[in-house]
Amino acid sequence: MQVKISGYLLKQKPLIKELVTKLTEKYGYVSVLGTDTSGKSYKVQRTGIEVNDSRWVERGFVVRVHNGINYSEYSFNQLEREQLDQLITEIERVVQTDVKTLQAAQIEFNQYPVIAEEAISDSFYGEIEVLPDELSPQAKIERMSALKEQAFAYSDRLIDFRVMLEEVHISKIFISVNKDLEQSYIWSQANLVPIVRRDQQTKYYFEGFSGLKGSEILTELAEGYQEIIDKAVSLLDAERVEAGIYDVICSPDVAGLIAHEAFGHGVEMDMFVKNRAKAVEYLGKPIASKLVTMHDGAATVKHVSSYLFDDEGTLAGDTVVIEQGILKSGISDLLSALYLGTTPTGNGKRQSFERKSYARMTNTIFAPGTDRLEDMIASLKYGYLLEGMMSGMEDPKNWGIQCMLMIGKEIRDGEFTGKIISPVIMTGYVPDLLKSISMVSDQLELFGSGACGKGYKEFVKVSDGGPYLKTKARLG
Amino acid sequence: MIERIKDILNEMPGLAGWKIIRQWVESSELFFVGQRLDMNRGKKVEHYQVTVYKDFKADGKKYRGSSTTSIHPTMLSDEIKRAIGAASLAATYVKNEYYPLVKPSVLDQPSLRSGFSTDSRSAWLPKLSEALYRADRYQQGRINSAELFLSQIKKRLVNSAGVDVEYEKYRGELEFITNWQEEGEEVELYKKLDFSDFQPALLTSETEKMLEMSREKARAVPTPILNNCPVILTGDSVEEFFNYYLVQSAAQYVYERISTAKIGENIQGSKVKGDLISLKLDPFIDGSTESAPYDQQGFPLRPTTVFEKGVLQRYWGNQRFCHYLGAETTGEINNVVIEGGTYPVSTLKKEPYLELLAFSDFHMDPLIGDFAGEIRLGRYYDGEKTVAVTGGSISGNIKEVQECMYLSKEVKQNNNYIGPESLKLSNVSIAGN
Repeated sequence: MQVKISGYLLKQKPLIKELVTKLTEKYGYVSVLGTDTSGKSYKVQRTGIEVNDSRWVERGFVVRVHNGINYSEYSFNQLEREQLDQLITEIERVVQTDVKTLQAAQIEFNQYPVIAEEAISDSFYGEIEVLPDELSPQAKIERMSALKEQAFAYSDRLIDFRVMLEEVHISKIFISVNKDLEQSYIWSQANLVPIVRRDQQTKYYFEGFSGLKGSEILTELAEGYQEIIDKAVSLLDAERVEAGIYDVICSPDVAGLIAHEAFGHGVEMDMFVKNRAKAVEYLGKPIASKLVTMHDGAATVKHVSSYLFDDEGTLAGDTVVIEQGILKSGISDLLSALYLGTTPTGNGKRQSFERKSYARMTNTIFAPGTDRLEDMIASLKYGYLLEGMMSGMEDPKNWGIQCMLMIGKEIRDGEFTGKIISPVIMTGYVPDLLKSISMVSDQLELFGSGACGKGYKEFVKVSDGGPYLKTKARLG
Repeated sequence: MIERIKDILNEMPGLAGWKIIRQWVESSELFFVGQRLDMNRGKKVEHYQVTVYKDFKADGKKYRGSSTTSIHPTMLSDEIKRAIGAASLAATYVKNEYYPLVKPSVLDQPSLRSGFSTDSRSAWLPKLSEALYRADRYQQGRINSAELFLSQIKKRLVNSAGVDVEYEKYRGELEFITNWQEEGEEVELYKKLDFSDFQPALLTSETEKMLEMSREKARAVPTPILNNCPVILTGDSVEEFFNYYLVQSAAQYVYERISTAKIGENIQGSKVKGDLISLKLDPFIDGSTESAPYDQQGFPLRPTTVFEKGVLQRYWGNQRFCHYLGAETTGEINNVVIEGGTYPVSTLKKEPYLELLAFSDFHMDPLIGDFAGEIRLGRYYDGEKTVAVTGGSISGNIKEVQECMYLSKEVKQNNNYIGPESLKLSNVSIAGN
C-alpha cells in the first residue's frame, strides 16, 4: 500500500513558493522545510491502557536564509496568505535586526558562502502492508491486550507486561529556488517489556520491533514473547560481573550500539567544524580490525531512518565510514560540508521543524562478515555473550565509550555455563575495541525502536545494527 | 482557537469531559563555534493538546477512558473535528479505572518572577553571551562551542470541569563544551545548564568551573584498580542518584506496583548508619525552569514533604493516580529539595576516597536501583595525595549502599534541584585500569 503525502503540505506549497520567491529578492539563499507528521502511540499494561498522539507529531515550517554573513533560521507553525507580509517581517527580525544587535555587541560571526544548488524535483512515497487507519484502535488494543493476557498466563513472576505500539506517518516538503522535493513514509515500532519480581527484587527486560512498516508490525509481537519473559526472569538470578577485561561476543543489538555510540557520533562532521572529533586525525588510516566495514546512510538499508532527502534538501546517501579497518569518511549535514569544503552526505536532520539541523546518523551498521556464530562461541575460552542494549553515550573528542547492557551470558571452553551477569557497563577506548574485533558473523540485524540524542537533546529517529562481533572489552 | 475547539468538543457526542492545553512559545537561539556565532535562530509557535474523556461501565465497575491529540493552529474546523473524533473513538477502548477531573480552585497562586520579563529576548542575548564567555580567558583552555536559547512560554489550561488557568515563564538553556590541552591530547567536557532568570554570575562561574575541571582532566591519569574504596559523587550525578526516591514515592509507580514503598516506612531500611533522606517538592523555586503554579491537569501546586528522615510521608502525583491510591493529590511538581547531611565535605574527605565529578552519562535506573557510569573526571585521594583520574567506571545498586551513605552538609542549587552537593557511598564496584 502506497503512503499518501499530507494534503495540508500540498495545499500550502504555492504559498511556500511565494514566500521563497519574495525572500529571494533580498537574500542570496532561501529554503523552506515543511513537515506534517501524524501518528498514534498505544500502551497496554496491567493497570491500564493509553492511546495518545505520538511524540513525533508536528506540523510546521522552518525557513533558512543567508543573512549576508552566515545563515539564520526561523521556525513557525502559522501560515496564511493574508499574513504573509507579517511572517516576512518576523523572519527579517531574526535575519536582520537580531544579527545587527549581535554585531553591535561586538560578537564575531563565522562566514558561510551562499549554498549553490542543482535544480532537482523529486518525490518518494513509502510502501507498507497495512496502513495505520486500516486497523481500528479497538482491534489494535484487543490484540495487544490478548498478548498481555498470554504473558501473564505464561509466568507468575510478572508484575507487569507492557505492550507498546507507535505508528508514525511522516510528510515533508523542501522548497528553494532550485529544489522542489516531497516525501511521505510510515515507520512503526513496538516494544515488549516484561517486569518481574521475586521477593523484593525487581528486574525487567525489553525487546524492540521496528521498521518501515505499518500495523503489520503487530504480528511480529506474538512470536517469541515467552523468550523475552524468560530473559527477564533469568535476570533475577544474575550476578554482578567482576570488573576486568574480557573476551566478549557482542550480539547484533550491542554491535549496533557500538557502531552508533562508539563511532557514529565521532564521525558526525559538525564535530569536525568544532574540532571536537578525534576521527579527523585518522582519516585514511587504520582505525579498526581489517574485518570491520561500517556504513551509515538513509540509502544504506531500508529502515526507520530511510528517506529520499534530509531536512536540508540533500538527497540520501550511503557513506562507507570504515572500509576493511580504514577510516574513509565522516557523515555530514549541508552547512558543515559547506564550511569544510566537502560533499554533504544527506545526514542533516532535525528533531522537528522547531529545531536546528545537525549532522546526524541515519541507519548505522557494521557490515556482516563470514564467521558462523557457533564457531565464535566455540572459540571463546572464557568470556561473555553480551545482549540487550540499554543506553550509550558518545565521546567524539577522546573516544571513550560507555555502553549500558542488560545481559552477559558466561561462556567457558566454548559453552554457555548458564551463569548470567547484569547489568553490564562496557567501557574502553574506541580504537582498542575496534582493533580487537577478531570474528564477524555472517548475519545482519537492524534495530530502530529508540531515538538518538546529541548530548542530552535533539532527539531523532535512527536505526543501527550489525552482525555478532567477537572482541575484547572492559566490563564493570 | 480555544473557543473554536471548545465549541467542537461541546458538540461531540458521548464525552464525559475534556481538557485543552495551549502552549505559546517564542524563542531566540544562538549557536557558537569558539567565540564566533555560527547561526542564529528564532521561533514562534503555538501548540494545542486536547484530551477527551469517556466514561463507561463494565462488570458493575466505572471506567474512564481518555485520549490526547494535537491540534495544530493551521487546522480547519473539519480537520479539528476529525482529530478529536478519532481521539474520542480511541478513548472508548481505553479501560482505565475511573478518576475525577481537576476542579477549579479558590487558591490564589503566585506568578512566576523573572528578570527576563523586563526586556526583549534580543536585548538579553548579548548580555547572556558576555556572561558565558567572561571566563574564556586561558591560553591552554577554551570554550569550544556553545548553544544559548532563551524562550518565553505562555501556558493556558482549560477543562470541562471549569478550570481555566494560565501562567507565563522563561526558559534559558545553555549547552557548552570546554577544552583543555596540556602536554597530551586535548580533552573536553560537556555541560548543560537550565535557568529561568538572568543570573550572569551563575553562567560565568559554571563556565569557569568547567574550564578548571577540563584542566584537571588534561592532567588526569587512568583510574587505578581500587577495592573497597569509598566513592564520593559530586555534581549532576547526585541529582540523578536521588531520582530513585522520587520514582519510588510516585503514586503512579505505586499504583503500577513498580514501587513497594509504604507510607510510614523508612525507604532506606531499619539499619541506617549514615544520613537519612528528607525530601520536599517545591513548585516555586526561584531560578528553576520547572517552577509552575499548576500541573498539567490544572491542579494548583503547593510545597509538599515526601520523605522525612527516610520515612515516606506521602505519595505524590497527579489527580488520577492519587485518586487511585486514596491519597491526597499533590499535583506533579518537578522541583526537588533535599536536606543536607550531617557532615561537611571536608569531613567526608578525611579518609581515602574516589570523588567523581564528571561521567559520560551517570545513569540511575529508578525502577530497580542499579546505577553506573563511565568516569570522565575523578579525584583519587590515597590518604596522602590527591590525583585527577579518568576512565573506567563505577556501578552498584542503591539498596546495597543506602544504609551507609552520607550527604554533604553543603547544599547547592542546580535549576530544579536544591540539595547536597556531594554524596559519599561505600560498597560501589569500581572498574579501574
